[in-house]
Amino acid sequence: MDRRQVLKSLSAMTVLGMTPEANLLAKSLSNTTKYSDLTQVQQNFASALANEPALLGFTDVKSDFKPQELTIEGRWPKELTGAFYRNGPAKHERGGQRYKHLFEGDGMLQEFTMADGKVRHRGRFIQTPKFTQEHQAGKFLYSGPDSRLENSLGVASPNDINVANTNIIPVSEKLWALWEAGSPALVNKKSLDFEGYEVIGGTQSYGQSLKGVPFSAHPKIEANGDIWNFGLNPTGHIVLYHLGANGKVKKVKVIATQYQGAMLHDFLITDKNLLIILPSIKSKRSHKNDGFFSSIEFSKQLPMQVLLINKEDFSITKQYELPAGFAFHYGNAWEDKDGTVHFDASLYPDLSVLTALSDVMQGHDLQGATDAQNVLVTLHKNGSHSMLNTMVNSEFPRVFSQVTGLKNQTLFHVSNETGKMWSDRVSRFDLSSQSYQHYHFGDEYLVEEHIPIKGTGKQNYLLGTALNVPTKRTCLNVFNADALTDGPMARAWLPYHIPLGFHGNFVKG
Amino acid sequence: MKKRTFNLVALAMVMGNLHSFASEAKDIEFQIQGINSNKGKLYVQLFKGQEGYKNGQAVNASIVNAQKGEAKIMFSVIEAGEYAIRFFHDENDNGKLETNMFGMPTEGYGYSNSAKPNFGPATYQQIKFNVPTGAQKVVNKTQVIY
Ligand SMILES: [Fe+2]
Repeated sequence: MDRRQVLKSLSAMTVLGMTPEANLLAKSLSNTTKYSDLTQVQQNFASALANEPALLGFTDVKSDFKPQELTIEGRWPKELTGAFYRNGPAKHERGGQRYKHLFEGDGMLQEFTMADGKVRHRGRFIQTPKFTQEHQAGKFLYSGPDSRLENSLGVASPNDINVANTNIIPVSEKLWALWEAGSPALVNKKSLDFEGYEVIGGTQSYGQSLKGVPFSAHPKIEANGDIWNFGLNPTGHIVLYHLGANGKVKKVKVIATQYQGAMLHDFLITDKNLLIILPSIKSKRSHKNDGFFSSIEFSKQLPMQVLLINKEDFSITKQYELPAGFAFHYGNAWEDKDGTVHFDASLYPDLSVLTALSDVMQGHDLQGATDAQNVLVTLHKNGSHSMLNTMVNSEFPRVFSQVTGLKNQTLFHVSNETGKMWSDRVSRFDLSSQSYQHYHFGDEYLVEEHIPIKGTGKQNYLLGTALNVPTKRTCLNVFNADALTDGPMARAWLPYHIPLGFHGNFVKG
Repeated sequence: MKKRTFNLVALAMVMGNLHSFASEAKDIEFQIQGINSNKGKLYVQLFKGQEGYKNGQAVNASIVNAQKGEAKIMFSVIEAGEYAIRFFHDENDNGKLETNMFGMPTEGYGYSNSAKPNFGPATYQQIKFNVPTGAQKVVNKTQVIY
């Protein structure tokens, strides 16, 4: 598809206006909460922290973490060589003010490199222009999606407040730090320096037509290296990307949907289709001062919609309606020869989690929020569907990268058994026997995303971080992925804790 | 005398007016800073009052070759009152403001008072400025938003 065709598909949008006055940012980022007192948020959190040590995972990080070798407990597998990168919000506070939502903080990259059974770590803030300016000023200069400043510098485009805080993937020689409302932030692998925002297709015939267009934080990378992704404009328009392993555009298309949720976090691929899953949420923003996240509401009347989109030409081939629900994350999808599609979702029955991730910034625990559960969905050729709820709490679902879009035998996720602040165990679900293995870390751990990695031969690993609250230290854990109940094979301990983050990926050395 | 055309002829006429009506005319000197290259042209539009701005009816306009750094655009007006300016840097010289697939500008643009959009378009209130009765010259400064 050439650029002209792409632009043609946008004709409906062009009438919305192409001048700065009419730019769609008005819709995409407009509207704010009341000029809230971010100082009060900071004070509320500080006093709550004094009584609830588990809030440690949400404290502000003051500076980068210097490179150092970690203390190994057990024996770190020597064949596990490479770098494990994680990303997450870390700069929550400046100048006595604190952001109102967990999604707002500037991203910090955590790098764990491993070789010869040794593990090294360093942590570096992603030095976006926003980060650098605010760092120099010693205070917030820009409003965030929910946290509005009375004298914010102008936010003319999403990249002005791109915090690059959600995921990190290797593309070509760079790392792409991802945030769902803006462009990939380019990070140098050696120095971890920020090197600007990727202009997708910028060196191709696409020119600047994709500059600043959202590229979600959950691209799916096929075994052949091709990168598939989407980006949402709150108007309901969704851009679909098909990139090569080198980040160059193979094709791109914008589709129009009726989606009014304003937030779309993850999606799925099979070998033939993309699955764009529109949860039952609606943005109720009506005033400039309404917050972006705080204006999103769950709508019981709204079915969850699945759009099946052909990978060849990005045409919508089928639509399914599921019962009302919400999910941030899906593990994997695949389809049978007859076109039956299967996928899993860490499915919430409501949207209380989104509010809880704001409340936690004020020092409240997450107990009031409903947990997501691992639900298996089958979409039948005749338009019907079936769903199986495993009734097991689930978040951050992952599969071996080799089976992305293909049938997976196993699904790994974290899970909340008794924890009130984050997850406390890792889980392995066997899809053929529909049976589970769990490893409960204990109440004193806050367990982050764990990712499965294929080793040589039959050995598979599960790798992820956890924060030990009493000792205020974070450890990197490695499990035998097929024997979680044995507990970790080894742990690599930092002498301090790092903030709770979102997603990571392993790059083999 | 309202000029709605957007061309160099209009500009030439304004320059002419500068001389013939020097005693009555008031000058608006619009300083654009932060121009990032010599490529293309700057398209600058002057509006009178909120209505004129809302309706997109410029009372004057100027097109100049872009020069890296700073540009000074002169407008001459007869009437005192509220004015507003918007402009864009047509870097690829095709006569229009380029936008991305979601309609966001991908070339430089800006407004009087160095106003910047903030989670939405810049408002007339942000960009208006006054040319007082009796004033001979009003200077307004801005920065290109890239
Ligand atoms: Fe995510």
